[in-house]
Amino acid sequence: MAAELDILEIVKEDILRILGEGKKEEISIESIKSEINASDLFISKAVEELERGLIIIHHDSFISLTKKGEENAKDVLKKHLVIEDYFREKNKKDAHKIAHVLEHYVSKEVIDNIKKLSTFKGEGVPLREFEIDKEGVITDITFPDYGVFERIISMGILPGEKVRITSKIPNGVVVEIKNKKIAIDKNLARKIRVIDEKT
Amino acid sequence: MKKLKILLIGQPNVGKSSLLNALVGPKVVVSNYPGTTVEVTRAEKRSNDTKIEFVDTPGIYSISDRSEEEKVTEKALFEEKVDGAVIIADATSLERSLYMALQILEAEIPAVIALNFVEDAEKKGIKIDHEKLRSLLNVPVIPINPLTKMGIDELLDSLKIEGRKSFIVRYDDDIEKAIDEISPEAKGKLPKRFIALRTLEDDEDFYRYLRDEGKIKKVKDGLTDHPKVAEDISITRYGTASLIAEKVTQITPIEKKKRLQERIDDVLLHRTWGPIITGLSFLAIFGILLYLGNFMQAALMGWTETLLSSLGMVQDSILAVVLIQGLTGLAAGVSIALPYVFLFYLLIGSLEDVGLLSRFIVNAERFLKSMGLPGKAFIPLALGLGCTAPAIRSTRVLSTKKEQFRAASLFAFVPCSSRIAIIMGVVGFYGGIKLALSVFATLSVAGLIWALGVKKFGHIESEPLLLELPPYRKPLIKNVLAKSWIRMKDFVYIVIPLLAIGGMVYGILDMMEITGVIVRPFSPITSWLGLPDETAIPLTFGFLQKDLVGGMLVSVLGSEISSTLTSLQIYTFGVASSIGIPCIIALGMLIREFGFKRAIGLTMASIAYGLLFAGLAWRIISIF
Repeated sequence: MAAELDILEIVKEDILRILGEGKKEEISIESIKSEINASDLFISKAVEELERGLIIIHHDSFISLTKKGEENAKDVLKKHLVIEDYFREKNKKDAHKIAHVLEHYVSKEVIDNIKKLSTFKGEGVPLREFEIDKEGVITDITFPDYGVFERIISMGILPGEKVRITSKIPNGVVVEIKNKKIAIDKNLARKIRVIDEKT
Repeated sequence: MKKLKILLIGQPNVGKSSLLNALVGPKVVVSNYPGTTVEVTRAEKRSNDTKIEFVDTPGIYSISDRSEEEKVTEKALFEEKVDGAVIIADATSLERSLYMALQILEAEIPAVIALNFVEDAEKKGIKIDHEKLRSLLNVPVIPINPLTKMGIDELLDSLKIEGRKSFIVRYDDDIEKAIDEISPEAKGKLPKRFIALRTLEDDEDFYRYLRDEGKIKKVKDGLTDHPKVAEDISITRYGTASLIAEKVTQITPIEKKKRLQERIDDVLLHRTWGPIITGLSFLAIFGILLYLGNFMQAALMGWTETLLSSLGMVQDSILAVVLIQGLTGLAAGVSIALPYVFLFYLLIGSLEDVGLLSRFIVNAERFLKSMGLPGKAFIPLALGLGCTAPAIRSTRVLSTKKEQFRAASLFAFVPCSSRIAIIMGVVGFYGGIKLALSVFATLSVAGLIWALGVKKFGHIESEPLLLELPPYRKPLIKNVLAKSWIRMKDFVYIVIPLLAIGGMVYGILDMMEITGVIVRPFSPITSWLGLPDETAIPLTFGFLQKDLVGGMLVSVLGSEISSTLTSLQIYTFGVASSIGIPCIIALGMLIREFGFKRAIGLTMASIAYGLLFAGLAWRIISIF
């Protein structure tokens, strides 16, 4: 039970994405209802709101995109594809599904960085070898196990984030990420790859 | 009167204890849950017609029960009936705080978000629209500053509003479907959706809330698109947190010059200077404790003696002896508690609040890791230089029982103030400072060999270093004082009575004149040590009361110790009386923390090791 506002936003984005992906220009509202797992009420409301400029309703049961709607759909789709592409690298089956979720949540900045990721996949150097005081972007983290994984995630260390090494210490590195300083063990730092932000 | 039980939850260094202090002042009670080692602080507050009990949980990053701290928080959340939670969020890194906030909301616990460090964030060019955050999450969001008490009243008022439906993270269709499939199996009072999520997140503790545990495996097997569903859930949750944070945060980039903060870290985290400064600080703490401690101890002891003699009791009756020895023990307790324990916690608490402690831990980790201990062991080991008993208890900062026991075993070699007094007062006084220093050196070597041996034979995987380094701040004296008092309470209520009892037992034994009988069975030991038989008395009685050792040695050998014992013998005596779990109070504390068997085992093993080492040491030295 997400807050109503939020579900509505998600449903709207989903409708735009489906229309954008669709080979046919017109899609029936019924088929959209079967594809999106949300109550009919939300879908009708979303359609109603999208009609103000982004979609056109034909014969009460089919919808298609307006010019402006097409552009918005492209954006949504791009976001989706970028994320899907990134996760495909990690796990083929997961990719599409994760993209479905993340497209609604991940910020523009992270998307931009993820775009970089798909261009520089597998590249970059282990965190500890990265230059001190240079802005970098995390390209990859090979998580050791779920326990450490969630801890790392909840501390804000994840692919796509900007990171800066403030000092290298014999037992690890100290980084600044999201305005916080964190000391990371050298064995963990080995599993985090970083590229120069400017590339 | 209405009663509310409110949990305070937040990440480490988010200002939880300052907030608690601002809410209720220093009147708090520390408690801990059975089976866990991390403490929970409680405090009560009356606000109009409501009595609010605050439960302060340890700082954690998420509630997924991976560490002791998380287990405690989880227990407080789900096993006590709580009416709500105050989530303390850090305005300088909102999304990280939101991750846990979203978990709390998923548990359908009515929550209020207290937004701390708003001014700090503004200095960094970060502005949070708290009204917007409130409307997105549908929970009260109140900017606070515990130092100026900003927002505190508002926070108290917001706790009394009930019945909200707040934001809940939505996962992708497959995961949502899986949640829907598991939810009907959930039983008990916790929200069904939450139980479903936790079981999907591999939290086996939650399996008992399912009617049919097999269901979870079936559903997971059905999730062919999500071979790692737990990871997908936390990624989505973090993604949601970061999106919400982005929606409410406005960042004005400010010129980043190398601030003072950075400069301090350049030195403190420097590969050579860092450890040197850490080591020097460690020595400084040690010096301050020793100097002020001796001073206060002498003053207190003198005062008690005057009191005792003014009572003018007949020394010969058993009752009088027991009473006098009991009072002496009590005085010893107070004279350790005040300088060594309280002062120590005051110093450590200030270091912690200023932000230095975490840097020291990072530097110490390098060294401690080689002995198989995590960096956090720095705190109990430093405290051990004051008094072993509270130091044993303070091993609770370490996350596993194994690590705690391993650290506790090192107290056989970290000399407490009483052992330092023996080394300085007996060895140093009669044999010279060089001899005293060589006893300290012997202790270090013995400790190192022990630690490396233990590490080799009982390898434990300690948690990798992953520690947040909070920004340097001015410490809040009130806060530091309150914290020190909380930490010292145990010592006052447990150790001091034990010291008094120890004194009484000694009084009785002394009265019955069985001290002479003790000497004979120990003669193999004294001859192994190359010492006169009579030294068995101070060596054994030292276990009841370390402070008595010096006096007793004089009473059995006469005051001309430098002529009755060779310097090698003085050295051996110093080593033999300093290695090992030092006294019966420390043993009592070990039993309390680790159980009877392990405590006795460690005590016996460490004393035997100490005697063996002392005997070997003088033999080796005498070769040269």
